Parts: sequence; C-alpha cells; structure tokens
Amino acid sequence: MLRRLTTLSMLALAGTTVVAVAQQPLGQPAPPSTHLKVGDAAPDFSLRDQNNQPVKLSDFRAKKNVVLAFYVLAFTGG
Amino acid sequence: MDSPFANQRFAEDIGVRFPLLSDMTRKVTKEYGLLNEEWSVARRATFVLDKTGKIVHIEEGNSAVDPTGAMMICSRLKK
Repeated sequence: MLRRLTTLSMLALAGTTVVAVAQQPLGQPAPPSTHLKVGDAAPDFSLRDQNNQPVKLSDFRAKKNVVLAFYVLAFTGG
Repeated sequence: MDSPFANQRFAEDIGVRFPLLSDMTRKVTKEYGLLNEEWSVARRATFVLDKTGKIVHIEEGNSAVDPTGAMMICSRLKK
C-alpha cells in the first residue's frame, strides 16, 4: 500500500514560484519519460491547491518563473 | 491520490509556502508525459519555466528529488 507521508523537500526561491503536483500511482512498473523538451511551452493546466483554490499555470506568465515539481509518492515512504 | 484536503494537512505539517496541487484525475501528469496509464504509475520530474511559460530545465527520475539543478537554473533566470 503506497500511501502517506514522506518529506517534500522544496525550495523557496526569490522571485520564483514553486508549484508541486502531488499524485500517487498504484503500480510498480517503470514509468514513462516526458515527451516535452527544453524550449517547449509548458502545457497549461488548472488544479486545486491545498486550500482547495484553483491554481492556473498561465496565471504566472509574465509575472514569475515557475518550478513545477511532479512529486509522485510524495506522501509515502516509497 | 491525495485530495486538496490531504494536501492541506501535509502542507501544514511541513510548512509549505507554495501551491501544493492535487492531480486527482492524473490528467496533468498525463499531459506532461509522466504517466503510464496501463499501470497507473507516474514518474517524478521537475520542470523549470521562465516567465514566458517556456521550459528551460527538465529533471526526471530520482534526481528530480534533488532541487540543486533547479536552484542553479533559477539563479540564472531574470527575476
């Protein structure tokens, strides 16, 4: 059972917004590699934050640099 | 998968000061090419975006846990 807490080490960088996406898988096989490349436009999205408020990636455009961290198993011991 | 409410508790526990987002449907993880749908398994990754929304750095796999690379890139970006 892959659940629960582990540490989420993130950085708060001056002038930079850090966005972490938490998501937990159920299986064990090797995950895929992203098709995105440096220079590509990051796909826009809107997800709810820890305060249940919608956060839209494009809202940071022209305002902040963004660190987008996909933290699979962020809240587990795995 | 964690709900926004579970993330709220986690954020409070560790003092998170940035948005901690829930990808409950895994749609975004899929759009970023990080999801194996058949096995519902995803990959850790860190993307650094500049102010135009362009990707300037990608870190995948276990090394994505280490923020050193992202920090270095961020220090070079215009604030």
